[in-house]
Amino acid sequence: MNDALTSDVIGRRVEVNGEHATVRFFGDVPPVAGFWLGVEWDNPERGKHDGSHEGTVYFKCRHPTGGSFIRPNKVNFGVDFLTALKNRYVLEDGPEEDGKEQIVTIGNRTVQTVGFDSVIKRQSQLNKLEDISLRNCAVNGAGDKGGIARACPHIRKVDLSRNLLSSWDDVIDIADQLKDLEVLNLSENKLEFPSCSTSLIGTFSALKVLVLNRTGITWAEVLRCAPGWPVLEELYLGSNNICISERPVDVLQTVKLLDLSSNQLIDENQLFLIAYLPRLEQLILSNIGISSIHFPDAGIGCKTSLFPSLQYLVVNDNQISQWSFINELDKLQSLDTLSCVRNPLTAGSKDSQTTRQFIIARIGQLKTLDRCQILPEERRGAELDYRKAFGNEWKKAGGHQNPDKNRPNEEFLAAHPRYQFLCQKYGAPEDGELKTQQPFILKNQLLTLKIRYPDQLDQKVLEKQLPDSMTIQKVKGLLSRLLKVPVSQLLLSYESPKC
Amino acid sequence: MILFGVNLLSSTFPLISYVPLTRECLSIHIGQAGIQIGDACWELYCLEHGIQPDGGVLDSKKDQLENANVEHMDASFDTFFCETRAGKYVPRALFMDLEPTVVDGIRTGKYRSLFHPEQLVSGKEDAANNYARGHYSVGSEIIDLVLERIRKLAKQCSGLQGFLIFRSFGGGTGSGFTSLLMEQLSIEYSRKTKLEFSVYPAPRISTAVVEPYNSILTTHSTIEHSDCSFMVDNEAIFDICHRKLGVERPSYASINRLIGQAVSSITASLRFKGPLNVDLIEFQTNLVPYPRIHFPMTTFAPIISADKAYHEELSVSDITAACFEFSNQLVKCDPRLGKYMACCLLYRGDVVPKDVNAAIAAMKSRNSVRFVDWCPTGFKVGINNQPPVAMPGGDLAKVQRAVCMLSNTTAIVEAWARLDHKFDLMYAKRAFLHWYIREGMEEGEFSEAREDLAALEKDYEEVGQSF
Repeated sequence: MNDALTSDVIGRRVEVNGEHATVRFFGDVPPVAGFWLGVEWDNPERGKHDGSHEGTVYFKCRHPTGGSFIRPNKVNFGVDFLTALKNRYVLEDGPEEDGKEQIVTIGNRTVQTVGFDSVIKRQSQLNKLEDISLRNCAVNGAGDKGGIARACPHIRKVDLSRNLLSSWDDVIDIADQLKDLEVLNLSENKLEFPSCSTSLIGTFSALKVLVLNRTGITWAEVLRCAPGWPVLEELYLGSNNICISERPVDVLQTVKLLDLSSNQLIDENQLFLIAYLPRLEQLILSNIGISSIHFPDAGIGCKTSLFPSLQYLVVNDNQISQWSFINELDKLQSLDTLSCVRNPLTAGSKDSQTTRQFIIARIGQLKTLDRCQILPEERRGAELDYRKAFGNEWKKAGGHQNPDKNRPNEEFLAAHPRYQFLCQKYGAPEDGELKTQQPFILKNQLLTLKIRYPDQLDQKVLEKQLPDSMTIQKVKGLLSRLLKVPVSQLLLSYESPKC
Repeated sequence: MILFGVNLLSSTFPLISYVPLTRECLSIHIGQAGIQIGDACWELYCLEHGIQPDGGVLDSKKDQLENANVEHMDASFDTFFCETRAGKYVPRALFMDLEPTVVDGIRTGKYRSLFHPEQLVSGKEDAANNYARGHYSVGSEIIDLVLERIRKLAKQCSGLQGFLIFRSFGGGTGSGFTSLLMEQLSIEYSRKTKLEFSVYPAPRISTAVVEPYNSILTTHSTIEHSDCSFMVDNEAIFDICHRKLGVERPSYASINRLIGQAVSSITASLRFKGPLNVDLIEFQTNLVPYPRIHFPMTTFAPIISADKAYHEELSVSDITAACFEFSNQLVKCDPRLGKYMACCLLYRGDVVPKDVNAAIAAMKSRNSVRFVDWCPTGFKVGINNQPPVAMPGGDLAKVQRAVCMLSNTTAIVEAWARLDHKFDLMYAKRAFLHWYIREGMEEGEFSEAREDLAALEKDYEEVGQSF
């Protein structure tokens, strides 16, 4: 690809020693002779400058050390899909290659490969391949028109992550020829997306799973391409700095799983824009920095109409520190599985058991929490403990065992929306339950005894603190030592404090 | 007339036109651990072979089955499943326990229509974590029934290879009844291989103090009847679930699903006619140098949480390197302190020979891998293109490729040493012994068993010595 470089090399994705970059400039850079390529690296610190050299700006980079000038022959422009496929799955030179293989040893024993010949033979039948991976194979496009469709039309799953595809059109060229394509992974490809919505008939007609992690795609671009994904069920958009800017209308309606993890710009208001996807069952919001959520259309104890099908919510590694977040989740109609580890609310607390119980008690229909199933006994225990733990607060806020007098204030109801329901389910907490237990230290178990001489009123009254389990015999012994009177001469009588 | 007959035959019984020798494997699941692991395993096998909970085959797999008969390629349903006249597939398995609760779980669970009622055997009174009850008093009452049911299953096999026994070391049924059964199986099926999957007790999830007793007693009485035993340490699995899969408090369900994946990798070659360890005898020839030294260690990779699907890309090199990490081992021991006697690496899924060769070449520099002097064989590496399957709703993410390493290393003697030590602590005081004596055992059996294990430790030491 070094000959006949033309200006359409600009925008191409290239690879140099394992590092990926986009070509931004092509031509002379005086005073040095010869053609140069100006590239913007994916890694912003890899380069030497920002596209300018000795005062002249040749191209722009987003980062001051994001760019470099390289000789075209040092750059790998990649290969087409079929070539990459053959490189990986077909042994180019046939069986003679085996003889030239070095004997590999580990721990000075030879490694014997068993049955590799038949594997190679089988995998070389490209038209039988269904599930392939061309990750990091420098794929830059589809190649000759129709080539893929002729060679390997039955491919269902392709991993094309970390390649040199430069635009969505390249992807379309490949996918057009794979009519059975169900799973496509395009992570880590920096793609140029079309600027206007294109309607494609037939391409992606079977696509169920699309992975676009780390592609730099924007939400607007997702919605522009989405009409071409009529049966899409799983969409992965992790680590793209996405900001959800508009509501998907007539697109993404079949999506069941949406992964938006590690998109730090998403906030709770943006989530409302995806709240009406009718089939959305699983939502992954790990590591987006969210700390609060509120469903304004539902009051305390009511269900929201947002996220109607959402069953599984993942909010790990976020900034959730308030119980109000958990309270809001109870408003979701279909939620039964939640993962919320590594949040300030749940991590590092000494009482992780209590935290788990409170989450279970606050979300009524939860069946699985943090990948552990909630059995009916656990739920019962959690709800009873929660009811007891906040009993005193409830009473102070106006709660009462008598239903006529039971009027806890708004603040309490907002903080504990399920409390009234739990009182109905298990009965209001009894006063006996709510007594705070004194911690069991010996000091609290001692009785104070006043000892006096009934006949000698001028004698000082002794006060002693003794454990209530002490027998009278021992008390006599103690008194005899104290008062220097032999035990047999002691006569003890009890005086009630009332007189 | 004869021509007509032949045509009729070949159209209704296509298998007869060419008869591959089917080499069936019978799985026997004993006690709570064995049954619950079995539940996880058969669920996974059904997903891999496309068999539905009622025993029917998914349409998409039917084509594969037809092709398989013609080209004798991948699907080897017959090894593990028996085809009924109605076209349903029934597992070649027996589940038994001395008390009914756990077996009832199968009888009423999702796969209840998959098994014939006679394959699910339960008694009335359990072994109460007591080897003596499992082996002598309670177990002896049910052993004949169990043997009869096994005979029925064996009759359905044209060329039974052997048995896969699933059990725990620590439980009463798993320890006591298994050794009783193994003795009987050796008598009745003397030429058949017996492979075990044994759950080694872990303090963090243990339910009984006497697990070391049960473990030592059962190992002593089973060692000469078992050909190869894959140990699975509950503690190692617990750690894997907790650290790698992010499960806060791993339950038996999580642990058993993970063990199911390991068992699926180990038996993949039997079920899909892979290149390596195609039959039970081959396991022995590849892994067992001496009859008593038959405890290989299992490691498998990758282990990725389902919530992180598609976030971590694992290449062949990555998963190969992971095989040599502690955190991926299913038994806690340090292979760097021991020597390897044999090692098998089986790759599954989208794996090309080129990548394997490259990955292994990168492993060359591993100085910590030392082999014993006297063993000429080294590593055996195979690829099975059947992709690994993840249970929907499980903790593991679906991956395109996986690897399982089975290595017979002298380092596994650590596991025995730990158990022997715990045994000694209790036995020195004769603690809890009366529970066993009451059921008819003698103290002599304990000291005999302990001596046998001491001899086993010595055997490992000897094989590891240099000339």
